[in-house]
Amino acid sequence: MTNRSDTPAPDTDTALLRPVAHLELKAAALLLFTLALILGSALYLLYARGAFEPTQTLVLVADDSEGVVVGMDMTFSGFPIGRVRRIELADEGNARIVIDVARKDAHWLRVSSVFTLVRGIVGGTAIRAYTGMLDDPALPDGAVRPVLRGDATAEIPQLMATARELLANLQALTAQDAALASSLGQVRQLTERLNGPGGALQVLMGNAQDARKIVLALERANTVLARLDGLAAKADTQVFGAKGLLPEMQATVAQLGGLLSDTRASLKKVDAVLAEAQAVGANVREGTADLGALRAEVEANLRKIDQLVGDIQRKWPFASDTELRLP
Amino acid sequence: MHPMPHRRASPDLLARLWRSVQRRARAWGRIVYLGAVVLVLVLSPSSYAGAARRRLLRQLYLETAPILPGFTVLAALLSLVLTRIVVVTALSYGLTAYALEMVIRVLVLELIPLTAALFVALRCTIPAGAQLAALRRAGRFDALRRAGADPVRVELLPRVVAGVFACITLAALSCVVALAMAYLGVYGFNLAGLPSYTRMFGHVFSPAVTLVFGIKTLLSSLAVALIPTASRMDGDAGVPEQESELGGLARMFAVLLLIEVASLVGNYY
Repeated sequence: MTNRSDTPAPDTDTALLRPVAHLELKAAALLLFTLALILGSALYLLYARGAFEPTQTLVLVADDSEGVVVGMDMTFSGFPIGRVRRIELADEGNARIVIDVARKDAHWLRVSSVFTLVRGIVGGTAIRAYTGMLDDPALPDGAVRPVLRGDATAEIPQLMATARELLANLQALTAQDAALASSLGQVRQLTERLNGPGGALQVLMGNAQDARKIVLALERANTVLARLDGLAAKADTQVFGAKGLLPEMQATVAQLGGLLSDTRASLKKVDAVLAEAQAVGANVREGTADLGALRAEVEANLRKIDQLVGDIQRKWPFASDTELRLP
Repeated sequence: MHPMPHRRASPDLLARLWRSVQRRARAWGRIVYLGAVVLVLVLSPSSYAGAARRRLLRQLYLETAPILPGFTVLAALLSLVLTRIVVVTALSYGLTAYALEMVIRVLVLELIPLTAALFVALRCTIPAGAQLAALRRAGRFDALRRAGADPVRVELLPRVVAGVFACITLAALSCVVALAMAYLGVYGFNLAGLPSYTRMFGHVFSPAVTLVFGIKTLLSSLAVALIPTASRMDGDAGVPEQESELGGLARMFAVLLLIEVASLVGNYY
């Protein structure tokens, strides 16, 4: 080691003294390169963090800001349009999530927009914006909006409780002495009896004797039905046969039709008689009108005759009876 | 009969332990002292005047320029392979949405700066430490002192500054290369994914993470440049040359590990 380290001394010395061509230029270029790298990275980082982007502020009010971190995105249709700048506790005890929304994307947010805070089972919390009416007026700068909270993990305890209840019920159902087990046993007995002699009838009636009675009843019902069948055939011939009730009824109805037409003819004649009687009445009315005139004429004639008789009486001295009698 | 050697060995062991502790404390103290001296010299304008500046620039250029192309290729290859592994694994677990963020966190934030520091240590500062030891043994430091010059200013300062500069340059370059390679590995040769990639990059590099990253890079570059060189500046009569070299390396790795752990704690706790 000592030998090895002793020898390189002159080499190192000469290496140290070896001149480098255009040293200043090269060193300056290298310095500039490093500076450019660092400044470029810093500028890119500032650009990536949205330092050069004009923004407007949106304040979301949530009852719980759990899972929200500074710098996280707010998405609209899956595209990030804003990021959380600050989370603060409001005077009312709510969480105020201050979000910077890029001005070029702010037109997606309208006064009717809805904001949700969703926490997934895997992955972080997400703030999403939904706009149903894109014709509504744009969301103003500094707007304060409530955020709806949807939490997938919050439902897990409830789900677990329900699942546990369900499992307990299932366990009770499937236990050795449970109602279901005994029901199943009885069903098995039932099916055995169904498969046995007597079958379903025996199951329904309970014993073999009653089942036999049912069969007997059925047979007797069959014979009754056969007799009913014959009865029905006879009734058919009585009612619908060649000399049955129905054809005679039809003839009677036809006769009734003839009778009715005769009656109609008689009524027409009566009608004519009545018309003539009307004419007679009219003539009688005319006759009574003429009678008035006739009576006036007769009265005038009688007065003339009376006058004439008076004259004769005066001229005829021996006439005594002056009384006149109408015919 | 048995307790006797123990009783004899105990003071011996204690003395050895004491000597070892003393040696370690001296070495650390020397490193800290020389580090402080170098920092003061870096901040003093006289270090950048005349011949000193020429010496500084020469060292700067000679320690950084030759290793740039090789390291760029290495960083690109490493980034591409790691990106591919992470993306394929994430795809098989259905977690592609988080793959790119993980790649950037693992590669750019943690792995590549460390690789750059180790690369600079192996290629520049450990050989520079050996050079310093050789110069010391050749009597150059004594000659300088006799001529009224300070060996720290003449020999150590340019090497430390060059090491720090090389480390920062390589870290910056490797980060840019890793970012480009991660983008190419995921999206291929098109610009369609650039907006979402930029956004995700901004998402990962929050102010706190950026600060931790900057401090970590600076501290590890200082550790890499200072420890292997400063530990070889003055020989200890009781310590063989090889042991001193290995001790310097061990100290450097320990400090790098501490810095890395501290940065992880800062980032994720």
